[in-house]
Amino acid sequence: MQSGKALGGEKLSKIKYLKNIMETKEISCVELTKKYLNSIEKQNNIINAYVNVTVEEAIKTAKKVDEKIAAGEKLMPLEGIPMSLKDNISTKNIETTCCSKMLQGYYPIYDATVWKILQDQNSVLLGKTNMDEFAMGSSCESSIYGATLNPHNTDYVAGGSSGGAAASVKGNMAAFALGSDTGGSIRQPASFCGLVGFKPTYGTVSRYGVVAYASSLDQVGPITNSVEDAAIVYDCLSLFDPKDATSIGSKISTVDKLNSSIKGLKIGIVEQYFEGISEDIKSSIDEAIKAYEDAGAQIIHFQMPKLHAVLPVYFIISCAEASSNLGRFDGIRYGYKTDSYKDIEEMICKNRSEGFGKEVQRRMLLGTYVLSSGYYDAYYKKAQNLRYSIIQDFKKIFESCDVILTPSVPVTAFKKGEALIDPIATYMMDICTVPVNIAGLPAISVPCGFDRNKMPIGMQLIGNSFEDYKVLNAAYQYEKQTKNIGETSSYPEVEI
Amino acid sequence: MIKKDEVLKIAKLAKLSVDENEIEQLIEDMSKIIEYADSINNVAETVDVEFDNINNIVNAFNEDIVLDSYDRDEILKNREGGENGYFAIRKSIRG
Repeated sequence: MQSGKALGGEKLSKIKYLKNIMETKEISCVELTKKYLNSIEKQNNIINAYVNVTVEEAIKTAKKVDEKIAAGEKLMPLEGIPMSLKDNISTKNIETTCCSKMLQGYYPIYDATVWKILQDQNSVLLGKTNMDEFAMGSSCESSIYGATLNPHNTDYVAGGSSGGAAASVKGNMAAFALGSDTGGSIRQPASFCGLVGFKPTYGTVSRYGVVAYASSLDQVGPITNSVEDAAIVYDCLSLFDPKDATSIGSKISTVDKLNSSIKGLKIGIVEQYFEGISEDIKSSIDEAIKAYEDAGAQIIHFQMPKLHAVLPVYFIISCAEASSNLGRFDGIRYGYKTDSYKDIEEMICKNRSEGFGKEVQRRMLLGTYVLSSGYYDAYYKKAQNLRYSIIQDFKKIFESCDVILTPSVPVTAFKKGEALIDPIATYMMDICTVPVNIAGLPAISVPCGFDRNKMPIGMQLIGNSFEDYKVLNAAYQYEKQTKNIGETSSYPEVEI
Repeated sequence: MIKKDEVLKIAKLAKLSVDENEIEQLIEDMSKIIEYADSINNVAETVDVEFDNINNIVNAFNEDIVLDSYDRDEILKNREGGENGYFAIRKSIRG
């Protein structure tokens, strides 16, 4: 039944294909939704992508979409498309736990703006996806629900913190997913699973209702099968939101700019990004650079000595912001509540110590430490100075290039348990993704090959602020030229 | 190396209680991470501009318009409805 092709034989992106087969009545939205729900039922006990499957919500929306199709109405870009949301995105009356004991049983009383936008589009919510507790980690192993396995090869983890989001798309258990990215949490799992992950410019997508980890770094974005799908989702999400004080939105349609020529595109290569990466990754990236050169792009080399300082700067700032943001969880109004206590002080301390996992507590303690009197200047203030200076370094580079090309992650997916051994070694794995959050830039991870164990490798393209369209187009042109694109035009082959 | 009494002071500020049998490991982990964080002080940085916000945005003040608030019962829903319209905790006044 599935052709994999439509409209004159050209392969459509998954979102476009699904929309097309619903509009031509090849399949109804309810049938399509049930295919995805069955795919989840069949695989989730092994993959652990979803922590909550929202069957009723999904069918209710799908029926609404079918009524519109029956009435001959045109569908909106994401209408009827089955998708997943990371479990730190507030969904009214649908449990939102951040995969923490602290929030088990918590039902938000309002919707995150990104979810509100998707509801207005009648996108079909299949469920909430697994993540590292409060988005703090890179393998999903700090989730109270356990690790998410990589559908590409289940001996490996899906990455993190948006590991469930990536696994839901890779396992054909969602057509697209929304994740959040504070230091690489969209791009790293996308890279590990062989998918596209896009972290937009800070301020273009609303953070309202997304449980905050580090507010000056957090950004919501899509994980998809193709660059075009990422652009479609981003264009729907990038609206100004008065409820988010840092919201700016974007008025540029990135989809419309996807076919711009990259002849003469200036691609920056920053030497420091390539230190310590594996041989397999290096050769895949070199091939990608060659593909760009063949397409007429110009390669320019840069140095960025301060890149070495980015990780400690990130660590100080993210922990400081986390210690402040997570201060709100006292267990009084919602969340985990201890059984016995003698006074309010003890009650709050016990609620927090029993409700939060070890990694979250460690980061809050470190954040409190760097903000405390006597240490503020040496750590927090110094980190903020360096942050300013790193932003200037990026600005300078973007004066003479359009995008920067780097590996997405210095390694390919870890095996289960590997990430938990040494905290600092694990933090180091974020070296390629973190600078983007520090400078608020847009960046995408796209698949660019496989290592010797046949695990996917990701290439990252970074753009200047508000030039998301350049990043998406550069990635799209690469994808088109190399045909380095996963299976896109199909829904799960599962019996209803 | 961070000291035990410092960890306890920080924990008190962060409203976390630290288990006595976990403190040694915590001191070791925190010391390692702080030592790593300390590496930023080796970077020669002459610029003394503190980062404020990414996109140089300024405060935009909303007009003071009264809007509907959340329903009290909705808010109390996560606490089994609360008690008489309030969040309830056990009486704990010290004499």
